[in-house]
Amino acid sequence: MASTKNQPVLLQTKRFSLRSLKPTDAAERWINWLKDPDVMGPLNVPPRQWNVRELMAHISSADNHERYLIGIFDLVSKVQIGFYMIDVDIIHRRATFNAVVGEKTWWGKGVINETRAALLDEFFINRGIEKAVGMPLARNFPAVFNYKAQGWHHEGTLRGHCISLTGGTRLDQYQFGLAKAHWLGLRGGSV
Amino acid sequence: MGSSDRAKQLLADALNCDAALISGDVRIGQFERWDSLAHLRLILAIEQELGRELDPDEAVRIEGLADIATLLGAARRPLTR
Repeated sequence: MASTKNQPVLLQTKRFSLRSLKPTDAAERWINWLKDPDVMGPLNVPPRQWNVRELMAHISSADNHERYLIGIFDLVSKVQIGFYMIDVDIIHRRATFNAVVGEKTWWGKGVINETRAALLDEFFINRGIEKAVGMPLARNFPAVFNYKAQGWHHEGTLRGHCISLTGGTRLDQYQFGLAKAHWLGLRGGSV
Repeated sequence: MGSSDRAKQLLADALNCDAALISGDVRIGQFERWDSLAHLRLILAIEQELGRELDPDEAVRIEGLADIATLLGAARRPLTR
């Protein structure tokens, strides 16, 4: 993993570019996503009233080694439509994926599975990761769909695993996992 | 309408397509119309049909038409002692 330590991610898919974000990427568009309960609610993140300076500080927390913040940019408009936060456990060569598509016009259009495929290739092949993990809320059905449609395994249901930050009730979560060998098998050796 | 037919109709409604376009072996991730928002509509429609929220282990097992029919069929079977 040493060869890519702190190296930013820069990838392209059919419709999107993906790159590690910099503090200068902090923008009103992103701040508006953080305020929007439709966007943040399914992630059990309370709406945040951040300003640009706070968002810049958040972006700065990503070191492209143990934490990645990667923007999803529409290739046509060049506009950022969402982002990934990927936390890496170096010891266990495991990456935990979180994704947000902030622009609602892109919901239901396959953004996540197109872009996450490129990221899985990058992390498994070039960044030493051997297992990917995702932990959506059980009632985040679009996210659950994406994991299943992409071939991740449902590894368990974590009952009452977290407290709803909007309602106080306890929420169920799933753990989905994807091993490097399984992913490369799904890709048919084409990567 | 039997459970299989009802399952196909619920899926067709969620996917905004004619039931005739849905094959019996349709699977999640293998039919373009079955996208993430269609999946959301499908789960909510099943819950409305059953009159209750799905248990997480029920919801996560929905990968094809047969899984939907099984859920609907179980709800229709009378309880026996």
